[in-house]
Amino acid sequence: MTVSDMQTDGLDMDRAITSIVIVGGGTAGWLAACLIAARADRDAERPLQVTLIESPDVATIGVGEGTWPTMRRTLERIGISETEFLLACDAAFKQGSRFDGWRTGAPDDRYLHPFTTPADAAPRDLASAWSDSGLAFAEALCAQHAVCSQDLAPRQRAMPDYAGTLNYAYHLDAGKFAALLARHATERLGVRHLRDHVVGVDGAADGDITAVRTRASGRIEGDLFLDCTGHAALLIGEHYGVGTIDRGRELFNDRALAVQLPVAADSAIASQTNATAHAAGWIWDIGLPARRGIGCVYSSAHLDDDAAADTLTRYLRATAPDAPLPDFRPLRFQSRHRNRFWHRNCLAIGLSAGFLEPLEASAIVLVELSVDALLDNFPATRRTMDLHAARFNTLFRYRWDRIVEFLKLHYVLSQRDEPYWRDHRDPGSIPPRLAELLQLWADQPPSHADFPMVDEIFPAASYQYVLYGMGFPAPRRTPVRTGTRGAADMLVQQVDRHGRMLAAALPTNRAYLDALRHAMTSATMETRA
Amino acid sequence: MPDHAILTPEEHRDLRIRTDRSDALGDAVMACITVPSEFRRVQTHYPILFQRDQTRDGFTALAMFGFEAGENLFLEGGRWDARYRPLAIDSQPFLVGRGPEGSSLRQVHIDMASPRIGTGEGMRVFDDTGRPTPFLERIADQLRALDEDYVAATAFFAALQRHDLLEPLTLDVTLEDGSKNRLVGYHVIDEDRLEALDPASVAELHAEGHLLPIFMALASLGQIGDLVARKNRRLAHG
Repeated sequence: MTVSDMQTDGLDMDRAITSIVIVGGGTAGWLAACLIAARADRDAERPLQVTLIESPDVATIGVGEGTWPTMRRTLERIGISETEFLLACDAAFKQGSRFDGWRTGAPDDRYLHPFTTPADAAPRDLASAWSDSGLAFAEALCAQHAVCSQDLAPRQRAMPDYAGTLNYAYHLDAGKFAALLARHATERLGVRHLRDHVVGVDGAADGDITAVRTRASGRIEGDLFLDCTGHAALLIGEHYGVGTIDRGRELFNDRALAVQLPVAADSAIASQTNATAHAAGWIWDIGLPARRGIGCVYSSAHLDDDAAADTLTRYLRATAPDAPLPDFRPLRFQSRHRNRFWHRNCLAIGLSAGFLEPLEASAIVLVELSVDALLDNFPATRRTMDLHAARFNTLFRYRWDRIVEFLKLHYVLSQRDEPYWRDHRDPGSIPPRLAELLQLWADQPPSHADFPMVDEIFPAASYQYVLYGMGFPAPRRTPVRTGTRGAADMLVQQVDRHGRMLAAALPTNRAYLDALRHAMTSATMETRA
Repeated sequence: MPDHAILTPEEHRDLRIRTDRSDALGDAVMACITVPSEFRRVQTHYPILFQRDQTRDGFTALAMFGFEAGENLFLEGGRWDARYRPLAIDSQPFLVGRGPEGSSLRQVHIDMASPRIGTGEGMRVFDDTGRPTPFLERIADQLRALDEDYVAATAFFAALQRHDLLEPLTLDVTLEDGSKNRLVGYHVIDEDRLEALDPASVAELHAEGHLLPIFMALASLGQIGDLVARKNRRLAHG
């Protein structure tokens, strides 16, 4: 037993939880630091202290370029203006995802999953209004389809920050985002920042972590430790040995080749992430004002690295014929997550908690949701912490399972014939709950009844967009009337009119972001003058 | 210099119109033309005054926004502080044009020199297929109403003159800081003569549809008080 252990033996279970130590300084660490510090009550008797330890030796991964609409609420809570965020992170608006070639691979095979929920009607009425319309599901029932197809922004500059006429999220430069959060946390929110390398962990006899040992700054004590150390998982994995659950049997992708291409100053900026299927995976394409981030995701069991490079090269040649080919950056990952995320006084947030393939950009949103869950039910004393941890673990296990199922949904309905796609349709690879839902959805559309939790990670609408986008037939008529069919018939016309109205009123993404930059530059010059 | 052009999908496919409101966009005006058919909506915010028309031998109705040239008391920080804006100002920079000589066809014209011509931001007039947007459809409705009623207004003022219902107005307003503002050269409905009208004349005005706008114009004078209050607020806030 070490001296430090003895000092903390006989833990005071009623001690207040006030000192939070975040280990790791990537997007997850800084986002957690900002959210906790921004929501801390500064007038509390013993206010929260947030310390973030960032190793100068470890590079961040930095390819997470897509957020969810939750990021608007997060940034507002943190206290960063939308203009500052957009400019500092070279960010653009993301209004959904477009899936090209997922169903058959034919040239006209594409569908949109927009962030805005379909027109307001009973799911069964929506499905029949759509199937009578002869249009694609999203086109018939969501005005965002028209907006995305014209590269338009979801808002006008005169609107208040974080408000839009449509639901939206962001595409961003992950490195710049982490830098902005770090500046904001240290300069405006009072987060203590230690640039040091963690070399060890001190534990108490009961198993809690009492401190982490650093190379230059000694022991850093805390009441609650957030493991934001990425794949290394220094605390939850290396120290505690909490196991992981492999999801690779359901989600096969385990490698990616990433690349960034500069774009012309006046080029259109896409309103959505474009995801183009290939023989053994898919390619992401994310438009920012100054560059496109592109990556070929694939299953190493189905495609070797050279073939993946060829696939990416063909895509780049087709979509940017004049650009010189930069080097590809290889990435390896496993779709897996911890079997527990919160153990004793250590909570894993970010890649240390787990990672699923990048489809649907679930990495950053899980950070936001984890910190929100921590703060919404904050353990005031050590005595209640284990109860909160158990609840947290149940909630997030539920969420990871739902994400796995939703990701899998994108693959199981494909008619593509390559081995990769056939393997995805193997019943043994399909989560049982998803298989059940697919049976139900032959008779009735995805609805609230399928997703009964108050805060589901994906609403029924998301399942409708993917299900019907992939060509799943509208449900058969049942002998039970909904009584609202007449109103549903008007929906498609209303959506068309709304789409035309928005298309007239909204600027292109490029025009919006250029005007924002221009307005900021001239305001700065006026201040200096 | 205005630069009027006929609006066409070929020429103006990508055109955008700025719909925010500011001095720089030409909204700093003390009044705009209004027509009897919109008096009901105009009087909810603005005084309606009549001005003798130099070129037409008659009168023009004006919705008032301020007391002196260039003063619009409804304009505040990029927005127009009223739920309704008169058609004539709301439809700018569009105008009604006429087709070739002798044609009764109305055309939508646009002043391409207007500061409302946007770059990148603003409302589109045509979509990518050249179809008019809902924005342009609304503008076209406004222009049609304005044009029809501007012609009909001649009959309205002829009736007011026939029944001698117009009287000159001179309004002296003393503001809270002691300064005086004076509105001269306008006419309003002569309330005493209106009350003294014989039943046959009232019936005639009613049959021609003039009675409602007469009373709306009369009621609108209550908004002069609101205009004074706006002026006082502006003086108080520098």
